[in-house]
Amino acid sequence: MKKVKERLAPFHITILIFMIQTGVVIFSLPRLLAQNFGYNGWLAIVIFTCISTFNIFLISLVHRLGKGISIFDILENSLPKFVAYTIYFVMISIWSMLGCIVAKQYVIVFQMIAFPTTHPMFFKALVDIIAYLLITKGIYNISKAATSFFWIVIWMVLLLTFFIHDFEWGNLTPYLFKGSTSFLKGGLDCYTAFLGYEIALLLIPFAENHKKFIKAVHIGNLITAITYLLVCFVCFGFFSFGQLTRLKYPLLDLLSFIKLPFIERLENLLYGFFLFTMLITIVMYCWSAIETLQRILPKVKANWLTVFVLGTTFLIAWIPDVIGKVEKWLQFLGYAEACVAFGLPTLILIILRIRKGH
Amino acid sequence: MHKPILFCSILIVMFGIVGCGDQRILEKLGFTHTTSYDLLPNENNGTEDKLMISVSIPKADPDGPTKRETLTAVSTTSKTAKIMLSRKTELSLVSGQLRNTLFGLTLAQKGLWEHIDTLVRDPAISQRVKVTVVNGNAHDLLVKDYLPHPRTGKYIDRMLEKEGKAQTVPHITLFEFTRDLFDDGIDPVAPMIRSVNEDVVIDGIALFNEDRYITKINSDKLLIFSILRGNFKEGELSVDLKSEGEHVMLSSLVSKRKIKVQSSGHNQFSIDINISLKGSILEYIGNLHLSDEMDRKKLENSISEYIQIEMKDMVTKMQKSKVDSLGLGIRIRNSLSYSEWTNLVWKNIYPNIEVRCNVQTKIKDYGKFEK
Amino acid sequence: MSIFQRIFFSRTKKENELFLPLPCVELTNDRATFPTLQHTLDNFINCCDFVHRTLPEINVDLVYFGHLLGNDEFMRDIATPFANIQANEVGQLLQRSQYHQILDSKSLIKGILDGEVAIFHKENVYLINAYKPDSRTVQQSETESVITGPHDSFLETAAINLSLIRRRVKSSHLKVLKLEVGEVTKSDVYILYIDGIVNMEYVNELVKRIKSIEIDAVHDGNMLVQYIDDCPNSLFPLFPASERTDSAVSRLVAGRVLAILDGSPSVISAPASFFEFFSSPDDYYQRWALGTATRALRFIAFLVTVTFTSLYVSVTTYHYEMIPETLLLTITESRSRVPFPPIYEALLMEIMIELLREAGARLPTKIGQTIGIVGGIVIGQAAVQAGFTSNILIIAVASSAIASFVIPSYIMSASIRLIRFGLIILAGTLGNLGLMMGIALIIIHLSGLTSLNTSYLTPISPMNFKDWRDVFVRAPFWALKERPSQSRSPNLIRNKMKK
Repeated sequence: MKKVKERLAPFHITILIFMIQTGVVIFSLPRLLAQNFGYNGWLAIVIFTCISTFNIFLISLVHRLGKGISIFDILENSLPKFVAYTIYFVMISIWSMLGCIVAKQYVIVFQMIAFPTTHPMFFKALVDIIAYLLITKGIYNISKAATSFFWIVIWMVLLLTFFIHDFEWGNLTPYLFKGSTSFLKGGLDCYTAFLGYEIALLLIPFAENHKKFIKAVHIGNLITAITYLLVCFVCFGFFSFGQLTRLKYPLLDLLSFIKLPFIERLENLLYGFFLFTMLITIVMYCWSAIETLQRILPKVKANWLTVFVLGTTFLIAWIPDVIGKVEKWLQFLGYAEACVAFGLPTLILIILRIRKGH
Repeated sequence: MHKPILFCSILIVMFGIVGCGDQRILEKLGFTHTTSYDLLPNENNGTEDKLMISVSIPKADPDGPTKRETLTAVSTTSKTAKIMLSRKTELSLVSGQLRNTLFGLTLAQKGLWEHIDTLVRDPAISQRVKVTVVNGNAHDLLVKDYLPHPRTGKYIDRMLEKEGKAQTVPHITLFEFTRDLFDDGIDPVAPMIRSVNEDVVIDGIALFNEDRYITKINSDKLLIFSILRGNFKEGELSVDLKSEGEHVMLSSLVSKRKIKVQSSGHNQFSIDINISLKGSILEYIGNLHLSDEMDRKKLENSISEYIQIEMKDMVTKMQKSKVDSLGLGIRIRNSLSYSEWTNLVWKNIYPNIEVRCNVQTKIKDYGKFEK
Repeated sequence: MSIFQRIFFSRTKKENELFLPLPCVELTNDRATFPTLQHTLDNFINCCDFVHRTLPEINVDLVYFGHLLGNDEFMRDIATPFANIQANEVGQLLQRSQYHQILDSKSLIKGILDGEVAIFHKENVYLINAYKPDSRTVQQSETESVITGPHDSFLETAAINLSLIRRRVKSSHLKVLKLEVGEVTKSDVYILYIDGIVNMEYVNELVKRIKSIEIDAVHDGNMLVQYIDDCPNSLFPLFPASERTDSAVSRLVAGRVLAILDGSPSVISAPASFFEFFSSPDDYYQRWALGTATRALRFIAFLVTVTFTSLYVSVTTYHYEMIPETLLLTITESRSRVPFPPIYEALLMEIMIELLREAGARLPTKIGQTIGIVGGIVIGQAAVQAGFTSNILIIAVASSAIASFVIPSYIMSASIRLIRFGLIILAGTLGNLGLMMGIALIIIHLSGLTSLNTSYLTPISPMNFKDWRDVFVRAPFWALKERPSQSRSPNLIRNKMKK
């Protein structure tokens, strides 16, 4: 049987987008919202959803006007090679470093729970090895693994029912966005949690059903938004406002509160489940970087490119070694990624418009 | 595909050997079950007060001489004390299984936040660690063995759990304490215990202003406090009515609390606390006939009056001491706009608020005997 | 001659010494020449089980392997007709359709080896099939048994297996293709499929793969499977092999392709998904609620067997906070007597159980039961009292072992046992993170596997909610109207077949 070039069904694209977006920021998201948006900050998620929906709309325009061609073709056909390659280089560096720093953040937070004295780069190396094994299998197998991971992770939303008993409506004051707030900068910090849908640009040539492609991306984004909304809503009602602004990782505290008769302190175990979502985040960002790199160096085998990219980012990740620095790097890369998320589709749209005008 | 897998598996195995560092093998650990903090009086006019910290570690060795080990150290901070304590035992002390913290009265009067801050900051310590105030010296209470009862740490822990379930004493953990501490509309509370001969008894509820102990509610008024604090089920109330020789015991209480806030003018608030109580009467000593409806109504009214008076006394006491343990501030806050609330200094307004307590009692049943 | 040449020459001389022409013929006889009696007898020289009968009065020679023939067939087709016949009637007799004339020696040799009788008459050679080898009677399979349902299982003789299937699928759409595998053994492989239900791409792919096998002998269906595997290095079996007739038939009807190897009772089916190994025919013979509950139990058992011991190891080594207060002192007490860290303790007990299991498979039944009792009770109890292991670990290891037997497919449970060791080591060195990494590695590995070019993890990825009705639950029969999506059948609805 001739091996059909496997394509991604819409359901898998939804799940892939959801898994990329859910990374490591969800742990501190309630606190960020409380610190930057004040009382009832969880409503800001609705605003972010609108922004990301708009961004996906831009991507849908690219998809429609480009008629399903890969964005690399569009860029290379319209821009001189030098310019295109510079853009590629920027994208590669941002994407690969973002994936890498997300992994490092995860590892450093995990070390607060267990293994405090082991060197974080050791765990990061193991995560990188697993990421390498997954990236080299190709996008279709990555999406299959992501689907399996999704089903393992999604049931954790049901754990929120544990907190119904202690949830107090009084903690959600009637005030909206009051208190010391910083909407713009803080908003950008929080928006990092929603980034990930821009990878859909690179998934365009792999989609099986072009009509349903954008709908799938939208649904993935919505699932992420609903998950965040539920978690943050419960956090805002469960903790008092002052307490929430002081808890560094409210989701960890939430998980540690669950007590079953035969096991407790489940955050030790459940934090490991987040390894799966974080793994997909890293893998997809690195995969995007390698897809871009392959356009520059088409003759080199993809496996060697993966080794090169993962190795380089691993070495660069030695530099921030304390939690404050890693968070700063993540913040900065989040800003950069937000620019890419908005800038890349806009650029492509401009190019397409100019081409159409010709 | 074959070579990368081989390479990766070799790497993983190698790394696996390296990672054996942070082991916490179960039988080599000493699990701190209960910690007690006491303030030692300041000697020689030193700049800092010293803390006396004791830990109780249950032992798992069935052939060993004791069921638990208690260690004591004196230092300025709890972490320094922990280092000193670990020098006295053959086990590695870990605090991940900490269940209860006891604070001496003098320390509570000075302020608890510094110590609770350490407990909240440590990721190994669970949020369900109980916070308890000891009327007296916490160290003495912890170190003593109360013979007919199980291990002291477990004894106190179980007693507090049981009382928390029976709603006589609020179940206060680090989570609740921190939550109430950082909420500007409510002040934290904590159960209070005392050592009496061979038992540990619940001595009442400690009321805090921010993190400093101010006053307490006595053990005979515990249920009134629970009624005021929130909805609850399952409690027993013993009432001595006005007329002599009349006693009534209400069991299986179900209480619902509704608070209404009315604002009348500038910083003048009046709060109505409406309680509806339902209970069974299983013990009645008096002249009325329970099977008669008129009599039951009379009884209900007497009970309601009695409870109202008690509640008013309690609220007045709290207002005078400037402790808002019932969370009235949250209610007021929810009725004001943000700027109004921030301009208000709640603690100054609080003593002058008019609080009305209305109780409605309903007797659900009176047992299986007609009289 | 230089030393180099001397060495060189002597080496070739040694090689030449090995290649003396032997009186036996080469293993593959490629020359197709006209068959003669002498040539045939030369071929089978030194085969003392080869029978040569001469009937000089009618000028007929019979050659055959006596033990391959059935008595009735021999009497009916050979002995009786040739007993009372005149010399000039032989030619006419041999025109009957059951006697095939053979024109090349290769087919003649193959025919004799296949259990046919060769009849030499004048210049012509004829073959007649009288093959009826001895075999077991149809009985219950020992490795796969169900509580209710048919108990007959496949045997080593392909003809009997084909008959068992034909009896159950009375449709002319059931097609049987015959292939050959093994250069020396030349075992027959029969490919079965139902035309109209199956997707012919699968049949063609399977036939292509079997035809490309180059090996001298294939002994069993499970061995055949490994030669046609997509991913031979994987731990997991990609094609299920079963001895049960009802599961073979249900797979045929679901749109899968069967392969029967002559000489093996294991019948393999392709393509397969990972979850197919967790279903047993029992599920369909009980009420659907029970079937669903049993399936759920199997998946729980799968989780238990893979993770329970590793969880114990990781919690007692790194994550003591996860133990609730009531269990804490019990576990600590039982561990305090053990001199080793939990990972060594766990590995020791697991290896012990594996030894017991492996030994139990080899022992004759009478001793086997005693060893079971000795191993289970005495060793376990003695180990705890000697301070080798703790009580809790015995419970963990024993429940893992029991849970692994809940999985219906033996080969799958064997693979899972192997994974368990890997996870224990990872959990013992890296705690819960190691356990999660192990699970991630397993899932990544499974996601890349394909069974006959279809995804191994169907219906999870690619997602197909309709298939979940028969994989994770056992929906009532009024809801199970479609064939599984993996078979990509042109005829998806089960009720009617397009004529």
